[in-house]
Amino acid sequence: MTQTTRGRPRIGAIARKVAGHVVRGLVMIWVVATISFFIIREIPGNPVLGQYESLIQKGMSPDQAERATAVLYGFLPTGSLWQQYLGYMGSLLHLDLGRSLSTPGVEVTTLIGSAARWTVLPVLAGTLLSFLLGVTMGVYAAIKRSGKLGDMLALSGSLLHGVPVYVIGLLLTAIFATLWPILPSGGPVDVEFTPGLNPGYVGSLLQHAVLPVVTYTLASYGGWILAMKSNVVAVLGDDFILAAELRGMTRGIVFRYLARNAILPLFTILALSIGMLFGGSIFIEEIFNYPGLGLLLVNSISSRDYALMGGTFLVITIGIVVANIVADLLYTVIDPRVRSGGAA
Amino acid sequence: MTSTTHAPGVRIRDLTVVYRTPAGELPAVRGVDLELVPGTITGVVGESGSGKSTLALSLLNAVQPPGRIAAGAVEIDGLGDVLTLGGEDLRRTRGRQVGYVFQAAQNSLNPLKTIGKQLLDLGRSHDVADPRALVRDAKVLLARMGLDGGRVLDSYQHELSGGMRQRVGIMLALVLNAKVVVLDEPTTALDMITQATILRIIREVHEERELTTLVITHDVGAIAEVADGLAVMYGGRIVEHGPVRKVLATPRHPYTQGLIRAIPRLSGDISLARALPGRPPTLGTLPAQGCVFRERCERRLAVCDTDDPVVITRNGRSVACHAVERAAAVAMRKEYA
Repeated sequence: MTQTTRGRPRIGAIARKVAGHVVRGLVMIWVVATISFFIIREIPGNPVLGQYESLIQKGMSPDQAERATAVLYGFLPTGSLWQQYLGYMGSLLHLDLGRSLSTPGVEVTTLIGSAARWTVLPVLAGTLLSFLLGVTMGVYAAIKRSGKLGDMLALSGSLLHGVPVYVIGLLLTAIFATLWPILPSGGPVDVEFTPGLNPGYVGSLLQHAVLPVVTYTLASYGGWILAMKSNVVAVLGDDFILAAELRGMTRGIVFRYLARNAILPLFTILALSIGMLFGGSIFIEEIFNYPGLGLLLVNSISSRDYALMGGTFLVITIGIVVANIVADLLYTVIDPRVRSGGAA
Repeated sequence: MTSTTHAPGVRIRDLTVVYRTPAGELPAVRGVDLELVPGTITGVVGESGSGKSTLALSLLNAVQPPGRIAAGAVEIDGLGDVLTLGGEDLRRTRGRQVGYVFQAAQNSLNPLKTIGKQLLDLGRSHDVADPRALVRDAKVLLARMGLDGGRVLDSYQHELSGGMRQRVGIMLALVLNAKVVVLDEPTTALDMITQATILRIIREVHEERELTTLVITHDVGAIAEVADGLAVMYGGRIVEHGPVRKVLATPRHPYTQGLIRAIPRLSGDISLARALPGRPPTLGTLPAQGCVFRERCERRLAVCDTDDPVVITRNGRSVACHAVERAAAVAMRKEYA
């Protein structure tokens, strides 16, 4: 008789695991921040230098031009790249991302914070909605896979998975904002309402969120239904499902065995896609004119706004690293096989 | 408890199970008659694809699609014909009246739940009024099989060895006091020591709890150790059936004779063991008429190609073979001459 390793989770072990993840996450964030710092500064077209040179061309003396540029941007890059890097890292430790160049004088954290409002909620809602919908329909598609309903569901998944998100967005706008104008076509909220927790403002907010959220939901629904369907079909073939039936377990219990085992691998993907949402959804924000993180990132790149670029990259990095940690820890909670690090 | 206190008898009558294939419905089990005498262990041996697992599943009316029970009856004392049961009646029969034990290599346990929680799921499914008593019964059964019940119930499937899993499977099949137990390949994929332990446990628990047991295996040695009766399956038919010692000592069907000749002995020359020539038939290569074994048979007659051999029963032993039948007839004529 072989002795099996026992894997009850202990508080100490969990704390060690979390600490290990946090340290690795911080190192990862530092590496990415460093790489993006240097890469960003290798992009052709330095906006401060460009301003400075164009002022000189307009006839200013170098001294005047330098002062004018410094007034415009609030600072002037001085020192070597290495010194700039050390300064950047130093202020990062104080959670200071610097000031934007394209919107002179405004803190990068302020810009990101206000853009995040317009990204996190709609994308989060879309992600969760598509997850719930896709997973539920995936179970049906798997169980009814030899019937018409199953074929239709699988087909809907394949179709929606194949159609690009901007096509879905444009189609929905065309239908619900132009042909049959029941929903606003763009913008995050109507301007006539005063921001706050009043019915008019919240109502307008929700109304404007419908199309972006539905677009996002439809765009990611296909992936969930297809993944869930194949997982359920795989688990259906597992012996423990037949065993549960042969032991006379009720349909409800057998279904729970099935669903829990099938959904397990999807939690990692869900955690990662929630992490990815800090990158925003550029197409959706462009189509529906949502001033979210995706648009902020695109604009910061086109205007060579170093500080803002670095800031948005950092936020995306942190989002993904944190999501990875959460996914890993979540797994140890929901899958006993990972908990004890055991084989089989 | 609704279960009967005495071992029930099981009668399988003219059972035919077909599988839907691109070439039409093909029989995996054809016209099988088999009686499980109350309180005995019946072993069914056969090669892969002989239909023995399909036969085992039929006892719970659980043949999986694309398979379908086309004809026949499985009568269990106190239950009636299981094949006519459906829905909730069938579900309650499974586990409560008829226990099923899976092969050890198959994961018959939910990997995400502890054994104890799965035991409670089983209790809830069968409306067990006192879950504590159920857990107590389970611990007694596990202790009977040499395991620490409390520890096992607290474990996940991946924390148990193959032999432990097999004992958990037996516990789950018996804990609701099922009196008919079907074991599908109970010793396959276990090491020799564990095999011997499991076989001893099957024998002892069978006697203590007064069960009627069916053991499906391809291992003739295992059957010789536990079974009272032995049925040999080939190509979806039972070709020979009788008391295990007699069948093994004086096999009558050419297939049984070949099977036993193929077993290597511990003592003696290994070259004495001779493999059966040819391959076992698959669903597609099974002849539609005549004897299913004739392609590999050394006593093949002309009649084997055209007529199904009839099961001849004499002195508690039955054989389905034209050659054996003819030899018996000749012997009988000599006697009267």
